[in-house]
Amino acid sequence: MVSTAATVPAALAGIALLDGVLAGFRAATGRNGRIRKHAYYRTAMRRGLSASVAVLALLALACGIVIATAPDPGTGYANLTRTGTVMLWTLGPYAGVVVASLLGYAVLPRRPATFLILLGLGPLTLLRPWVAGAAGLTAAWTAPNLPTAGCAVLATIGVLTVEPWVHQRWYTAPT
Amino acid sequence: MPILEISDLITRHDVATGTPLPVRRVEVLDTLAAAGDHRAVRIVAALAHRDGVLDPAAVDRLLVRTHTELQRLNEELRIAEQLADLLVPLLGAVGSTGQRPRVVDLGCGIGYVIRWLASRQALGEVDLYGVDVNPAPVAQATMLAAAEKLPCQFVCGDAFTLTGPATVYTSTGVLHHLRGADLGAFFQAQDHAGAQAYCHFDIAATALAPLGAWMFHRARMREPLGRHDGVASARRAHDDHTLMLAAGTAPGLTPLLYRPVQHSNPCCASMRPLLGIRTRHLPALRTALGRDARHLVTRTRAGRRPW
Repeated sequence: MVSTAATVPAALAGIALLDGVLAGFRAATGRNGRIRKHAYYRTAMRRGLSASVAVLALLALACGIVIATAPDPGTGYANLTRTGTVMLWTLGPYAGVVVASLLGYAVLPRRPATFLILLGLGPLTLLRPWVAGAAGLTAAWTAPNLPTAGCAVLATIGVLTVEPWVHQRWYTAPT
Repeated sequence: MPILEISDLITRHDVATGTPLPVRRVEVLDTLAAAGDHRAVRIVAALAHRDGVLDPAAVDRLLVRTHTELQRLNEELRIAEQLADLLVPLLGAVGSTGQRPRVVDLGCGIGYVIRWLASRQALGEVDLYGVDVNPAPVAQATMLAAAEKLPCQFVCGDAFTLTGPATVYTSTGVLHHLRGADLGAFFQAQDHAGAQAYCHFDIAATALAPLGAWMFHRARMREPLGRHDGVASARRAHDDHTLMLAAGTAPGLTPLLYRPVQHSNPCCASMRPLLGIRTRHLPALRTALGRDARHLVTRTRAGRRPW
């Protein structure tokens, strides 16, 4: 049986990386009028992923400092895991619905796919910052100490920064 | 109060020559203020201007950005694919007229639909034209088509003065810009120009459309102008009956709705097509559509917006 100490950070990192890929895609949308732009979107998603990896590295550093400076490193890690679990309770179902909607859009015929866009992907994009914010604030609120809460807030801010940063860095003007 | 779109007010061109005409900022602001649209007033107030005249270069750049964002919406909703699914049976039904068929997209903007059709060669041996009265999007369409070596052309000016008649006229999101007598005149002009058929996609007028438009433009577009006009479009979209009445004023072309709102789940019918075809070709169209011909509707009734 895999312990939560490993699955929680792995699941959160997985969601963050997937979100980074999609953030890169969104950052680039509406800026290239060409018809064939698979390579353009691949580059954008790679940029989103890279930004997301950078955010995760920064967060790992912050978490490492929190664990290293805790009176008991084992307890510090457990606190972070518990706080991460609280985040997962909100982010997990949201991520599940997003992935299911994307898969549905990719494989379903056009009319049900349109249905999915209007009822799923569109609203989910609008909800994303609110869901991430709610997850981060809930986790911070229930965190056992300030450094752990700070990690939850840092993770949320980092994830929400990827899309605007990639957009500002590469995609402000039409190409 | 009238529902106005900013993009209709901030550009003005000589239709014959494409020459931009000066647009006085205060006139646009007054018009929008008189319509009670204070958000639109703020958007226009932020536009660049010189000596009280909107800066045409800045407006052109804004329109190209907005059209590019709009293309992203059309890509996601697969509008060009939907159009191709109807153009194939339409072109098949009208048959050979002795000339190479020509499809002309009216109000083409940056030409997404025509370029998509050209890139997929979805219609076979067909001349593909896009026409718009605004030179900036037409220049962008031409540049994009050249960049991808797509076999299609874009023209600035009046579509109905193009050399040679179009076999089929198309448009996407144009009909709701035409108000009053202009709507009927639009269909009559296609009839007089000798078109064999038309296929015009526009926003389905449902009670949910403005909410859906708000949500979708908010989620997918960045330009405040695009977000504003997207919702205004949905609010002032023509209902099915209005479109059928206006299209019926062109006696040579029989109007048909395809999958109209009353026959569809509104979440699957954000844009719906209005077809028209020379009456003699109608049986051939039904044959070409096969089972899908059951979705053609020839009669509508006045009523409230559904859903």
